[in-house]
Amino acid sequence: MYSTAHPRDYPACSGCSLCRLVCPMWRSHRDPRFSPEGLAKARQNGAAVTELADVLDACVLCGACDPVCPENIDLGGMIMDLRRDVPARPEQAALQTGYRKAAAAPDAAPAGALLLPGAALRADAGLLARVLELLGIGCATDDGADIALALEIGGAIDPGRRRSFLDMLGGRTLVVGDGLLLRELRHWLPGARLQGLGEALGNLGAIRRRIASADFYVVEARAYHADHERLVAHYDALRKESGCSMNLDLQRIAIPGCDEAEASWMLKGRRPARILVESPAEREVFRCVAGVPVLHLAELAAPNEEMHNA
Amino acid sequence: MAPDALQGIVRQQTNAARWNGAGWPDFVAALCAAGVEVAESAATRGIFATDAGGTAYGLPHGVVVARSAAQVAGLLQAAQAHRVPVTVRGGGLTTEGESVAYGGVLLDMTGMSRVLAIDADALTVRTEAGIYWHGLAEELRRAGLDYLSAPLNMTSSVGGTLGVGGIDVNSARLGCSADQAISLQVVTPTGEIVECSDSENAELFQRVILGYGQFGVITEATLKIRPYTPLSMHYYYYSTLRSAIEDLQMLDANDASDYSGILTIMDCAVNLLVAFDSSEREAAFKANWEQRLRGHGEFGFALCMAGHYALRPWKAGEALYLLKRKQAVFPEFRRPEFHRDGRMEDRTVVFSRAVWKHWGSRNMVIPDLATSADKFIDAVERGNAVCRKFFPHYTLYCVGIKLRPEHKPHYEMSCVPPDAEGWAYGCEFEPMIEDAVYSRDHFQSFKNAIYDIGVDLGASYYRFGGMMKGYIRRVFGDALVDKHLAMKRRADPAMILNRDVIF
Repeated sequence: MYSTAHPRDYPACSGCSLCRLVCPMWRSHRDPRFSPEGLAKARQNGAAVTELADVLDACVLCGACDPVCPENIDLGGMIMDLRRDVPARPEQAALQTGYRKAAAAPDAAPAGALLLPGAALRADAGLLARVLELLGIGCATDDGADIALALEIGGAIDPGRRRSFLDMLGGRTLVVGDGLLLRELRHWLPGARLQGLGEALGNLGAIRRRIASADFYVVEARAYHADHERLVAHYDALRKESGCSMNLDLQRIAIPGCDEAEASWMLKGRRPARILVESPAEREVFRCVAGVPVLHLAELAAPNEEMHNA
Repeated sequence: MAPDALQGIVRQQTNAARWNGAGWPDFVAALCAAGVEVAESAATRGIFATDAGGTAYGLPHGVVVARSAAQVAGLLQAAQAHRVPVTVRGGGLTTEGESVAYGGVLLDMTGMSRVLAIDADALTVRTEAGIYWHGLAEELRRAGLDYLSAPLNMTSSVGGTLGVGGIDVNSARLGCSADQAISLQVVTPTGEIVECSDSENAELFQRVILGYGQFGVITEATLKIRPYTPLSMHYYYYSTLRSAIEDLQMLDANDASDYSGILTIMDCAVNLLVAFDSSEREAAFKANWEQRLRGHGEFGFALCMAGHYALRPWKAGEALYLLKRKQAVFPEFRRPEFHRDGRMEDRTVVFSRAVWKHWGSRNMVIPDLATSADKFIDAVERGNAVCRKFFPHYTLYCVGIKLRPEHKPHYEMSCVPPDAEGWAYGCEFEPMIEDAVYSRDHFQSFKNAIYDIGVDLGASYYRFGGMMKGYIRRVFGDALVDKHLAMKRRADPAMILNRDVIF
């Protein structure tokens, strides 16, 4: 049994390689350097962060490594921390500034439960409207997109900005579209009622009933791994109920549809009738590689249906 | 007995000597000219500084990630020419430093880890050999198929397993994992790419299977596979090792189950696990064999234990440990996401998760004994006494291995003991390190004490290489070892391939 006495950062990595089994970065490169283990070992052996820039850039922050680490190292957090020491690309920094300005003077958030759609969902106005109608909740005009992007690229987050954002959210039930932001909100707002978009939509009867055994269901990896212990049961129940197959490997770790290679590997040996995704970004990736309909979960139910059923 | 027969038998760790690096720059230049990347940064080399055991440490001069048989062939040709040691590594799940490079080049086979072709009609798969069994299972399962047998550890690689044997809880029925190999693509130590099987280049096939990496690098493998079935698992609990082993051997001899094995908490709670692929086999077991088992169900065993410890209050600490261990480990074997309709869907995932979570630690020493069926109880009881002497808490893991008479040439100088007929039996003795700190000498003395039992009984070992290679001549004798050494010298003139493992 591993000790519980030592720190939970990269020095604790013993090199078991379990993280490689689930790492899309490793699957893509088949090179030990391109894995959380490789990063941890490199740091243990004195590598400077700048030497690791290619690897850090290749990580998609899916969080798959976190639930499988027997040392309970926060590997996702380790990689996000290391990214802070690598200069962000200018276009990313500019995008963060743009999001920050857009969030500078938000409309007052509606009362009650809120959807924080995230940049990808917000970019598809039709899909966003459908999601809001299905969930029957308000939409935050400030959804922390700048903070989410800063987490992704290792950008700086102004403490004042973070405080005002969290103050706006305090005490509400939140549905969060960005998996990385959801991961951090679990730390920043302990005890808050938080759900990922996929889980929230999947709990709606109108959607759940329409998931068929011939479907291939793509769980959004970041939100799933951020609350893995609990969500394993949620998706296992969904899988048993619908008979669909999922992008969960034999360890029940989600394979992210982060690029066409991963999506193709996911579909290798499978012949689904439809592909259902929780993430709008993954919908686009699968549309490039799959010769079958690719639907966002919200597109399964007709508008108003859930409210009529309620 | 040869003059070096007692090398490594002293009660201290016996790391191999570090290679002096002569010729390294020329070797690297030759590889670079051929377009092969040799990673020489400390950061990359450090990934491979130790193995799963965490007690042997050594750094290669450089690392090459395997990409193709041709690349591996070029590497070995250059290594022969420049006399550079090559240490081949798959999952790195050795515990005696067998996959640790003490200088030279480390060849990481996980770079060759793709499934090449699945033939669902012929029930075979062709795969690159650096693949983890878990990765292979992932693709086979999509086609409703499964491998036959593999170690219950997700980071074992196919090539590494075929090179040493591989034991699963179905080995008493299907043999060791290496027995499922139909043919292999091997790169010889001098860099020839050769396809081999029992009918083609049979001698090479016999030496590479269970050959501890001495006679070639396995780059591809064709394996038998089978339709996937979830398992129906049953557990029986014993308070003595002897009765549990007798029942295990009774089940194996009568082909009464599809899976069988023993997992213990010290020698206090001995769990015989029995599992089935089909309802028919399960029903036959229940009708014909279950009533002959002397083990209890979980509740019955708990009552026995309560009575036992009520009469021995001075053993309250032991009782408390058993209870804590049960509370920690049992739920791991029953996680609902890995079961459906009462059947276990992913046995390797379930066992491997449990192993890493509840048995793994930064240091792992797992000496073992492999014996014929009739010597097994004696071996386990004597090994158990050694465990009791050295550690407060430990686990024993016992399984049978069905031997295939036609594979006898594969078994020569391997973990399969020479006197075994029908079945060999293996027992791993694994101390629970927990938060304790032990010296290397403590670990080494423990391993020596276990291995001395093997010498005394005429047994063999699964982990006889690396730091324990001093035992090789003692258990196999000079004549056999010299025969294999002569073959090795012919096949590997510069003695560069995995040179610190056996000879």
